[in-house]
Formats: sequence, C-alpha cells, structure tokens
Amino acid sequence: MLNQTQLWAIFDGTVITVEIAIVAIILGAFFGVIVALGRLSKNKVANAVSWFYIWFFRGTPLLLQLFIIYFAIPIIYLDSTGMTFNINPMVGAFIAFSLNSTAYLAEIIRAAIESIDSGQMEAAKALGMSYRQAMTKIVIPQTFKRLVAPVGNEFIMLLKDTSLVSTIALFDLLRTVKTMASSDGNWIYYVYAAAIYLFLTTIIQVAFDKIEKKLGVYERQGN
Amino acid sequence: MSMVKLVNVRKSFGNLEVLKGVDLEIQPGEVVCIIGASGSGKSTMLRCLNHLERITDGEIYIEDELADKRENNKDLMKIDPVKVQTLCTDLGMVFQNFNLFPHLSVIDNVTIAPIIVKKADKNEIEKIALDLLKEVGLSDKKDEYPSRLSGGQQQRVAIARALAMDPKIMMFDEPTSALDPELVGEVLGTMRHLAEKGMTMIIVTHEIGFAREVADRVIFMDQGVICEQGTPEDVILNPKEERTKSFLNKIL
Repeated sequence: MLNQTQLWAIFDGTVITVEIAIVAIILGAFFGVIVALGRLSKNKVANAVSWFYIWFFRGTPLLLQLFIIYFAIPIIYLDSTGMTFNINPMVGAFIAFSLNSTAYLAEIIRAAIESIDSGQMEAAKALGMSYRQAMTKIVIPQTFKRLVAPVGNEFIMLLKDTSLVSTIALFDLLRTVKTMASSDGNWIYYVYAAAIYLFLTTIIQVAFDKIEKKLGVYERQGN
Repeated sequence: MSMVKLVNVRKSFGNLEVLKGVDLEIQPGEVVCIIGASGSGKSTMLRCLNHLERITDGEIYIEDELADKRENNKDLMKIDPVKVQTLCTDLGMVFQNFNLFPHLSVIDNVTIAPIIVKKADKNEIEKIALDLLKEVGLSDKKDEYPSRLSGGQQQRVAIARALAMDPKIMMFDEPTSALDPELVGEVLGTMRHLAEKGMTMIIVTHEIGFAREVADRVIFMDQGVICEQGTPEDVILNPKEERTKSFLNKIL
C-alpha cells in the first residue's frame, strides 16, 4: 500500500493534472469564441488570422508547442536580448495547453454556430437586431447545448494529454506514479493512476451529461 | 405619401437575375397580395425591402425615405447601417418557417427585440406582449417553448413577435405554406383581423381565396417582373394577361 508521502505525491500530481486541464478548457473556450467569430467574419484579415491560428495549433503536436514555449522562447529571448528569462513550468503548461485547446474549441464553436438555421439570423435581423445582438442573444445561446458533447470530449482529451508536462519538469499524476513504479519495481502504481484518471473523467462525463440535458429543455417536444 | 416604393429594382444572384426591374408603390393601409409561381421573385422582393437581400440595381423608399440605392451592385448611398436598421424596424416580417427563437419562451420571443433593439421597459413591453398574444389567441401559452406549439400556433406567435416592434408595414412570406391544411385557417384568421384593423400589409401567398377576400390589390409576378396587377376581381376573376390565366388555371 501507499505510505503517506506517496499518497501526498499522488495527490499533488493529480492537482497539477486537473489544474492544467481546467485552465486550458476555460481559456480555450473564451479565446475559442473569438477565433471562431474570426473564422466566420467577412473581414479578410480576421478570417486569415484565425485560419492561420487554427492551422498552426492543430497541425503541430502539442508536445512541440510545449517545447517551443518552455525551451525555445527563453533561448530566443537570450539570443536577442542577452538576458536570461525563465518561464515557470506551470505557467508554460497553462499557456501551451490553452493555446492548443483554443484552436480545437474554435473549430467546435464555429461548426456549432454554422449549424444553427440561417432563418434565426434572418428573423433577428428582420426584427431590427444588429449582427452583434443577433449573435449574442439569438444564435450563440442556441449553440450551448450542441457544444456540450464536443467540449466534454475536448476536456477529457486535455485531462489525459496533461501527462505531456512531465517533459518540462512538472510532476503530474502519470510522472509521479511512474517514478514510484520504477523505484519500487511495482506495477500497482499504474493501476492507481488509471483509477484516478477514470474517476476524473467519470466526473466530467456525468457532469456534462447533466448539463446537456438541462440545456436541452426547450427542445423537448410533446407533453 | 407612400409606405413603400420600389423604383426599377433588380436583383441578381450571380448570373441569375431574379428581379428584372420592379416598380411598385404601396399606400398606407393597403393590403397587397402577391401571387405567382415559385421562382418568380415574390419572396426575393420582400426580402430586398428589409435588406435581408441587397438589391443589385434600383431604389427602395420606405415612408418616402431613401433606404437603398444601387447601380450595378454599387452602393450609391452608403446609408448608415444604424439608419437602415431603424427603417427596417418599420417593416415587420413573418416567415414561411416561422423562425421563432427556440431557446426562448413564447413571451420572451415577443419581447426580446423591443427590449434589446428599442430599449423598451421590460414590464411595459411584457404587458403589450400579453395583449398581442391575447389578440392572436395564445395568452395561455406565454410560458411554453415554441417546440411545444403547433405550426399554426407558432406562426401566430411569430405574428405577435413582429407586431411587438410596432411596425408600420407587415410583410408575410408565404405564411401558411409550411402548415398542415387544418392549421391554415387560424393563421389566415389572425391576418384578416390585422387587415381589418388597417395595417398596411404585403402578403406573398398561394391562398388565392384569401387574396380575393382581403386584398385591396393583387399583384401577379412572373419571371422577375410584375406581370399584372389590379383589384382581386380584375386579376383573379378576369385576368387579362395570358401568363396570369395559365397560372390561375394551374392552381385553381
């Protein structure tokens, strides 16, 4: 069984894992809306910038993005200014995971907005609403229910992908148990890790199911 | 004064010219029914009036104010979008597919535009909305979501929603075409009631009997132009144009 030190180490690793996933999903959702609106915009610059953003962050490995932020940027900074500059690994992880999830969530949000019947925008405009009013009051609120399932997906992926941060000097859940396993020569630690991952993803799955039901209340037909 | 005036309006989608020079003037209180085969440009004309589509050529006046003027798809006026928006709120529109906002209750569907566009007081507009719902016979459904209403009820809510903006003209784009036959009557009844109250109305419809009964003027459109217009007796009972005759023969 685990001794107290090990228990706390696993707890700390779990906290790091959860923290990164939560920060990334929240910031990703916020900036994802902006990038999605950029993709839908008729403004060519906004459109091109968002297209390029998604192209880059979806098209390169998350691990590479993590390395760029944690390793490459300090070196570039040192070369160009002659000063040293270190990124706190936790901050580096927050940034990399948020930038990455922004790209994925932007595409999810864009698709959800486009799935809303164009008659909704027309009706809003015919009632005198501006594009902005129609988007914020009519179209985007209708996307919430459709967003829950894919955002839940992204959240679960993020939670598991946080194991990549072991490469930038962070002891997340997986790295913590791996260290224990190799020092004791005991595989049981991996079972603990699997149980914790499953416990966390179960919470997400159940919570998102509930949210989806709640948001879909207006779609229920009949008596 | 005219409520709406179109001067030589043309509209193309790519190479397809849908409106080929339409002139039309509608007087206050007039009920105009537009009939014609699908693809004749009836709906497009309505949609051009409230800028859901932008015209390619011609001029549009709303209450004698220039609302759009274009030549070869060039905007000659550069009218301030806010002003366009204000002019368009004088035009209420009812769609074939209702287009109610599914995430809002019936009462919120009716009050949302006055609240966010006209900054109306919430309590005041709710009172007005309730009166409007009563008028269309749906005050008992005010807290339901649209998905729980029949098509006919949804369309009546859509009419109340448009009226809540206090429009001077109501436009109906085939308001009964998506309805089950037994639900058509209730919607036409609501529209008839509106016409009797003196509302200026432009109605694109296939309900020839209704047009005959309520219209002050019937317009027959064909291939992007107004082919024939006049009183319902003239156009529906005694059409002069061959194209009008053959259209009426097909649908009656």
